[in-house]
Amino acid sequence: MQNRGRLGLKGARAQEWLAANGVIAPAAANSWTLSEAGAGTEGATDALLVARLGTSEFFVEGAASAPAMVKMSRLLDSASPGVYPVTREDWGFELGGEQVHEVLAQVCDVNFAALRLDAHPLVMTLMIGVAVLVVPLGGLQYRMWCDPTFGPYLSESLGAVVIECGGSYTGDRG
Amino acid sequence: MYRLEAPAGDWLDRSRPLRFAFEGREYPGYAGDTISSALAAAGVPFLARSFKYHRPRSILSFADHDSNTLFQVDGVPNVRGDVTWLREGMRVSAINTFGGLAGDKARVLDRFGRLLPVGFYYKAFHGRRLFPRWERMFRALTGLGEVSLNAARQATPKRHGFCDVLVIGAGPSGLSAAMAAADNGASVVLVDEALKISGNGAPPALLAAVRGAASISLRPATVAAGYYADHCVALASLDRLTKMRAKAVVFAGGAIEQPAVFRNNDLPGVMLASGALRLMERHGVAPGRRVVVVAANLEAYEACARLGARGVTVSAIVEWRAAPENGPAAAACIARGIPVIQAHAPYEAIRGPDGTVAGLLAVPVNAAGGVESGAPRRIDCDAILMSVGWAPAAQLLLQAGGRMRFSEALQQFVPQELPPGIFAAGRLNGIYDLESRLGDGRRAGSAAAHVGFSAASRPDAADEPRRPTPPLPTVGFDEELRVGERRPSHPFPIVDHPDGKNFVDFDEDLQVKDLENAAQEGFDSSELLKRYSTVGMGPSQGKHSNMNALRVLARFRGVGVERLGLTTARPMYHPVPMKLLAGRSFHPERRTPIDAQHAALGAVWMPAGNWRRPEYYAVPGESRAESIEAEVHAVRSGVGLIDVGTLGKIEVHGPDAGELLDRVYAGKFSGLKIGMTRYGLMLDESGVIVDDGVIARLAAELYYFTTTTGGSATVFRELLRLNALWGLNCALVNVTGHRAAVNFTGPASRDVLRALTDVDLGDAAFPYLAVRCGDVAGVPARLMRVGFVGELGYEIHVPAGFGPTLWRALYEAGRPRGLRAFGVEAQRVLRLEKGHFIVGQDTDGLTDPFEANAMWAVAMQKPFFVGQRSLKILAARGPRQKLVGVELAETARLPKECHLIIDQGQIAGRITSIARSRALNKSIGLAMLSPELAQVGRDIQIRIEDGGMVGGRVAAAIFYDPENRRQKPGAAA
Repeated sequence: MQNRGRLGLKGARAQEWLAANGVIAPAAANSWTLSEAGAGTEGATDALLVARLGTSEFFVEGAASAPAMVKMSRLLDSASPGVYPVTREDWGFELGGEQVHEVLAQVCDVNFAALRLDAHPLVMTLMIGVAVLVVPLGGLQYRMWCDPTFGPYLSESLGAVVIECGGSYTGDRG
Repeated sequence: MYRLEAPAGDWLDRSRPLRFAFEGREYPGYAGDTISSALAAAGVPFLARSFKYHRPRSILSFADHDSNTLFQVDGVPNVRGDVTWLREGMRVSAINTFGGLAGDKARVLDRFGRLLPVGFYYKAFHGRRLFPRWERMFRALTGLGEVSLNAARQATPKRHGFCDVLVIGAGPSGLSAAMAAADNGASVVLVDEALKISGNGAPPALLAAVRGAASISLRPATVAAGYYADHCVALASLDRLTKMRAKAVVFAGGAIEQPAVFRNNDLPGVMLASGALRLMERHGVAPGRRVVVVAANLEAYEACARLGARGVTVSAIVEWRAAPENGPAAAACIARGIPVIQAHAPYEAIRGPDGTVAGLLAVPVNAAGGVESGAPRRIDCDAILMSVGWAPAAQLLLQAGGRMRFSEALQQFVPQELPPGIFAAGRLNGIYDLESRLGDGRRAGSAAAHVGFSAASRPDAADEPRRPTPPLPTVGFDEELRVGERRPSHPFPIVDHPDGKNFVDFDEDLQVKDLENAAQEGFDSSELLKRYSTVGMGPSQGKHSNMNALRVLARFRGVGVERLGLTTARPMYHPVPMKLLAGRSFHPERRTPIDAQHAALGAVWMPAGNWRRPEYYAVPGESRAESIEAEVHAVRSGVGLIDVGTLGKIEVHGPDAGELLDRVYAGKFSGLKIGMTRYGLMLDESGVIVDDGVIARLAAELYYFTTTTGGSATVFRELLRLNALWGLNCALVNVTGHRAAVNFTGPASRDVLRALTDVDLGDAAFPYLAVRCGDVAGVPARLMRVGFVGELGYEIHVPAGFGPTLWRALYEAGRPRGLRAFGVEAQRVLRLEKGHFIVGQDTDGLTDPFEANAMWAVAMQKPFFVGQRSLKILAARGPRQKLVGVELAETARLPKECHLIIDQGQIAGRITSIARSRALNKSIGLAMLSPELAQVGRDIQIRIEDGGMVGGRVAAAIFYDPENRRQKPGAAA
């Protein structure tokens, strides 16, 4: 997933800070939402993906050039008390298609097929030994992130499984 | 045995003949044969040699429940012949033979059976002098199959599975349970170990309904190999292992037919009746031309009828019971003219000239249930089928926490108490009548489908009528319901013989007397008997032996079987190929963001924990040692560059950030000036050094610190735990993978770096141990002036995405000054010259700061830090060992790390680090040494690999620049 900007923040006042910057965060822990605050002239596809990790940590992804992303990245460095920046250089990628659940079943013990997508669940789990953040987008599409130092291993290993299941793998990191 | 010519709905495709080789000779077969069935059809007299006595063996269970039919196939060991499809061109050979199956040299062991009683190896072969020879002999003699070290790696696609109800066993009760669960809205997975699911006598309409049910996933050739917590079951198929997680499990694996025990019951041609029926009905192979059936239940007569339907002649039925079998099946046998020799037991199978069975001696059974061996009656035959009883396939039920009780009426164990979510049905539950089994399956499947739901219906079954949870008990029917039913198992199908060779466990070659001898020696509980005699420890895991072994033990002790109890086999219950467990062998590996640059520079990789790091950089024309030496020299004389991105990197924010660090580290950090760093030593509660790093204060409420490469996850987890425990007002952020880091070091490092940064690098503006933030090569960076390798240098940390840019810029800028990238080995030499210890290499699980000469990093006066109290105690006790420097007198034979230091014949210490130092022109090291010897100048002796001794001398640990001049102001300006 190229040209995506990411930032993270945590703290007792992190949600407040996001709201002050026009970003709506999900109310429930371990869930995600799309916030229009970052939408550029291109429309909804530029919305920011906002994930709530636990109770007081947030992960935000959007177009690197989105005004909201640029502004928040700058402001986080000198954020107010109770708001702490979390450096996010994640390796991001997407997995999707008819065989996606077969691939996921070979690398993870979460039953993704049984998730109730209307609740916008966010899954934090291990995938072949690597901690990952997974957002089910619906329509058999999943967006995932991991520590960048595990990125090549996870990407290559998943790619091998994808190819064996008859899929294709581009290997681009985002 | 022979092939039946007229096809009758079996599994063969006679239009596809195959050819294969066994023991070097070619044989025919068909598609649809297994290895065992093809060999049987070809009339091969015996297929294997037994484990201990090397007696000839052939098919026993034809259900993969014994080790008589394990083969070496195309280089793969222990292939299970009963359940492996025949393929064109297969090369098959027997295992456990020396010189081939027919000429096996070890067959002489059968004659020396008296010298090899149970447990003989505990009583002999332990003399110290000869033990190595006996060990080699036993290693050669024991074990099954040959492993090829050159075999290609076979990765298998292990996967996770999920379902509402897992049903194990696809016989009548299992099919019924699956259908009932599906009818109640559950997603069902139904597994069976048979290569094809045929229902085992279930109504064809039921089998068809199960096959057509969308919510039932049918998985033949799949063994449930182990039960794990929370209804997780390991399912082993031909090509993969599935970790199935179910909400409920129905165990419908039925019962395993048990052999009768009499002399020579292991001869080729003696087999279980159910095995003979499978062989005949699935693969068109008749067990013999003159078959004798040893009977003690209704199944024996049903077997005779099925044999007769295929034209196989049953010469006689040896009926063990006093009372005749009544009913249509028995009447049909009599009508067919099969003589029934009532109240007779098998006494001895007679061996023919080719080693297979040629007859049976039957003896009368007396009123007490014993036998009268005086006048045996001989019955000529070429096959003996045993149908004397069953034992429940209950091992997984026991693994799941089920408790069993012994039913006198049934002469088998039945479930007594089952954990929530576990159900049993069918023969495993003590139900034998077909209609009853179907009903029992419906009960279990329906109950399983309701697990986790209230009395209302399952929420998914929107169209189903709301049904209450079934009121039927989770275990089987009451004993009263079973009274009046037939008895499927003989209470004691065991006949003594003065000459022995009446086998209880075919895998382990255990006879009745072996078990009695073990009990006599005091191993008289089921657990002890198992461990001493090895009964039930072979590939069959007691499937055909545990029940009879219990009967022998019960008789010996004069108690009922119910007093003894069952042993629980641990997973895997059934042999599982290692490739299924290994799966794809994923090995998580971490790479720093600068990985590609290292590869481009010719890095030779080494594992460092789960990272890959450059050990050194290979240069054409240089050996490994020369390259490392050159890298060290570059750092000492000019400038070097190393990727230290594997270090743990943690930020702590907030008003109590300093307080947290004061508590978790031995030093004091709350008073650290903004813009400075300090070495941090982390101890555990017992005062042992567990980690170290550099702590930088970037702002009043922001610290940034490093940990060891291997310690980052552990340290972060521990800090989170302690912070939660103490409730301090601070937040921790682990940025280990999100920041790249390099160490740019050497006398010329400052000169080179000046051109790339806007940070003032002068000694006044940026003194030793300071930290500054600024741009380096246009990249936002944190620079720490630290001295791990003993030279002027800067550790530069940037966001991970900028790592390659930073590396390229520094590398290109440094090349005119002779820069070399240096790897882990060079760094080890450099820090060793400076006397810096590495936690976990120079320290061990007991090393405290006193022993490591690190008390300078401890601020004992703080109110509290982890390990403080222990240090006070340790101070009073004194060190057990001391970390010292070592110089070596000669360099020709360099000791290695962990080589021992010997003093007056005793171990006095060990080498922890060692290297040749070109800068110092000698070999140096660090060592842990007894305090009494730890004086500078003391001579020591180090024992190396060949047992020889190398001399050394204790030295001050800081070998290079002991006064730290390289770091002082003006150094390399």
